[in-house]
Amino acid sequence: MPGRWDWLKEELSGISMLTKLPTMTKFLKGKISGPDDMTKCSMCPNMCRHACPISIVDGKETTSPAGKSRVGMMIENEVLSLDRENLLPIHMCLSCGCCEIWCPFDFSVSDILRPVKTRAVEHNIVYEEFVELFDDLRENGTIYEEIEDQGDLPDDGDVLYLRGCEYREGDSEVIDRTMSVLKKVGTDPFVIYDEKCCGIPAYNTGNIGLFEDLIEDMAEKIRGSGADRVVTSCPSCAYAYKELYPEFDQNIDAEISHIVEFLEGKKLKFAPNKNTDRFTFHEPCKLVNGLGKKESMQDLLDRTGLELEKPRRNGDETFCCGSGGTTVSRLNEELSSEVARERLSELKSLSDEIITSCPTCKRTFEDNDEEVKVHDIAEIVDGLL
Amino acid sequence: MKKKDEGKVDKVIDKLSESFEDNRLSTKKTDLLSYSHDYWPISLHWMLEDKFPSIPNAVVWPEDKEEVKEVVRWCYKGRVPLYPYGGGSGVLGATVPEKGGIIIDLKRMRSLQVDDQDLLVEADSGLNGYYLEDSLNEEGYTMGNIPQSLYPSTVGGWVGTKATGQFSTKYGGIEEMLKGIEVVVPPGKILNFKPHPRTSTGPDLRKLFVGAEGTMGIMTKGWFKIWPYPERRIKLSYASERLEDAVESVRKVMRRGAEPAVVRIYDEMETKRHFYDHEDIYGKIATVIIIEGDEKIAEVEREIVEEEFIGEYKGEGPVDHWLETRFNVKEASEFVPMGVVFDTIEVAVNWSNAEELYERVIESIKPIKGVLFASAHASHFYPQGICFYFTFAGTPPRKKDAESFYQQVWSEAMKAVIGSGGTISHHHGVGRQRKDWLEDELGGGLKMLKDIKEKIDKRDIMNPGNLGL
Ligand SMILES: Cc1cc2nc3c(=O)[nH]c(=O)nc-3n(C[C@H](O)[C@H](O)[C@H](O)COP(=O)(O)OP(=O)(O)OC[C@H]3O[C@@H](n4cnc5c(N)ncnc54)[C@H](O)[C@@H]3O)c2cc1C
Ligand code: SF4
Ligand code: SF4
Repeated sequence: MPGRWDWLKEELSGISMLTKLPTMTKFLKGKISGPDDMTKCSMCPNMCRHACPISIVDGKETTSPAGKSRVGMMIENEVLSLDRENLLPIHMCLSCGCCEIWCPFDFSVSDILRPVKTRAVEHNIVYEEFVELFDDLRENGTIYEEIEDQGDLPDDGDVLYLRGCEYREGDSEVIDRTMSVLKKVGTDPFVIYDEKCCGIPAYNTGNIGLFEDLIEDMAEKIRGSGADRVVTSCPSCAYAYKELYPEFDQNIDAEISHIVEFLEGKKLKFAPNKNTDRFTFHEPCKLVNGLGKKESMQDLLDRTGLELEKPRRNGDETFCCGSGGTTVSRLNEELSSEVARERLSELKSLSDEIITSCPTCKRTFEDNDEEVKVHDIAEIVDGLL
Repeated sequence: MKKKDEGKVDKVIDKLSESFEDNRLSTKKTDLLSYSHDYWPISLHWMLEDKFPSIPNAVVWPEDKEEVKEVVRWCYKGRVPLYPYGGGSGVLGATVPEKGGIIIDLKRMRSLQVDDQDLLVEADSGLNGYYLEDSLNEEGYTMGNIPQSLYPSTVGGWVGTKATGQFSTKYGGIEEMLKGIEVVVPPGKILNFKPHPRTSTGPDLRKLFVGAEGTMGIMTKGWFKIWPYPERRIKLSYASERLEDAVESVRKVMRRGAEPAVVRIYDEMETKRHFYDHEDIYGKIATVIIIEGDEKIAEVEREIVEEEFIGEYKGEGPVDHWLETRFNVKEASEFVPMGVVFDTIEVAVNWSNAEELYERVIESIKPIKGVLFASAHASHFYPQGICFYFTFAGTPPRKKDAESFYQQVWSEAMKAVIGSGGTISHHHGVGRQRKDWLEDELGGGLKMLKDIKEKIDKRDIMNPGNLGL
């Protein structure tokens, strides 16, 4: 079988070594080591623009995937100074990973740009909105002012259910229903009352120092719980525990899954569907792209027997709810809402009953539209089990 | 831009800021630098070298035709250059704001509506290509315009450049799809040419905006013909001994009236490059073909191809390989920052001169000092002829800068094309890169084009300098 570069060798066989060597070297260097990722992305014609929720909705070159990398490159090259105004486009990223699915280099722009964000934080170039967030995270260990844990949930069992800041703050109903599902599948779920943020908001904003502090604390809590299985409602939390913690040397022995992953492959006996409503669904980007569960949510929903309308953008072509990535919703609320409305208009053309599996997506849709009814998948599963 | 002109631009920006909120009119440096280039290799090179010779004074993002009208009106009043911008995937510098002024980015105008009975889609000019095609597919249609830049480009850019897609041999170029168009022209007038199946009402004014590259006005929306989503897709591939065999085969297929959607013939070098892991094709001439549409028609077309093709049948594998890799755009990212000059040149020629043109272009590029390789594939076909898509790469020899090396290759290639009876562009357009050869192409027609432009846009605000107008 001919090798990848035989065509080039053959092409050059007639040319003198002296002429071909410099060109050949540059050419092969481009392939083998090549420029850094940010430069590569800057030179791309935006081959993932169509999938980027920000780019589709905002419509600006500056906030397109390659556009953000170009701004990053210009900051690194000191064409632009490292200041709040110039950093703003870089922060217009939902960390949704929708670019990665299409990228010929498998880049995620949010990863490419994190070092620039981190450098900014290190130089104390942060926005007021971030300062507030950092204070809450540092002082209260959550993205909100202190959360009062309510209810009467067991603090001992075999599966640790980490509820996440969003549901702990506002949705005890979903928490109860998730506990119920976990019980119905034969586990003995429990919570930890001093649960803290998984740290991902600090990671997204580039505050790696704070992120490391938060994860040290939280990893210790999880380890201390003695659980060998952990289930989350929030796909970003699961992503952090599974993917980011080990990267930052915080290993957790317990098996971690988002609730959808957890139910995958479990024998579930659903009651015959008496619900005449038609539902549509929204797959969270961190479940699909972060955790790589491209079909899991649809598979689970299919098993319920509900009447489902599939949105055009589903599976690994899913769209962000508008609040992913921490920064857009804090620095540009209008843009975040525009992304939400774009997604909602697609979903609402199918049904006002939306099923999702992420607390942030649920809250974002509810905040942006009073007509829709948004269900966490645990509520649906619990109702039918 | 001169001081006096700066003042004029500032006044227009002030006026526009009365109706455009902050987030839709920008003079921020990040925005201005982001719109100082498109995908013209020269402008990418500038960016890599931290050079920004063409920076706009402002960028505006309208949301409807009235806002577009407002922008055109103020720019015309203030004599401020205005550059329509779609996806910036144009490869010839057609959006580069060489004279300063205002960039008008249409991407916030992006609605679409399908008319099933008339098989038409009404699409706003800023609509993303993939968004359009995927939405149509979802509803059971295709427009069939699938350029390799489907993901980053817009409908307005397609019309602006007179684009063609990979499936054009069946579905045609954008000019054949465009049935109606709404445009804003100087001094700020909306013109609406409604879609009809055909119309015989004087010269076709819609066509004035197809391929005008933003010099005549701004398209705000278009009506395009669509097709029911193909019920059958047939994939065929061949390995021929000689390029002439494959070209002649397709000529005969086209002559018999068959219209495969995709036909791509790779010369020997490109066959090696693209199909290096297909041992039985390596070193030969690969052709991939996709036939699609109505089941019965597709079967007949397959028979015609099978009857005419001179070459060994190689099954579906090479076609699948092409389908999987056709959007893998990596070259500029990998090589340009390493100092490699890389570009593509697409041209068209009648069958009678096809062989000569191919040979002459390759022979004109290869001997240039610093050129590493020059190759081609044929990618779009007509009963009358063929489009060749040349690729070259190299590094400037010592004492030559990248830009003049690049221009030397282009110049030799253009001369070879004109000398062998071809047209200097098949689908990328003219922009700022090809403008110097437009006179050779159009002769006295160029003066006519300039007169028309002057009549429409007396103050020369619409993309001044583009196409050499
Ligand atoms: C990787 C890659 C692959 C490509 N493959 C193809 C291909 O297969 N086929 C093909 O034809 N081309 C191809 N191109 C070239 C390019 O994508 C096309 O020319 C495309 O049509 C440009 O669309 P755009 O939206 O990016 O326009 P832009 O680059 O933004 O603009 C192009 C021109 O159109 C004008 N324009 C844009 N919008 C409007 C409007 N609303 N009204 C008036 N004028 C307007 C601009 O002023 C400019 O002159 C490719 C480019 C790349 C980078
Ligand atoms: S991570 Fe999401 S928002 Fe950010 S560039 Fe990629 S697709 Fe766009
Ligand atoms: S993430 Fe990949 S596809 Fe998207 S712009 Fe960057 S290099 Fe291109």
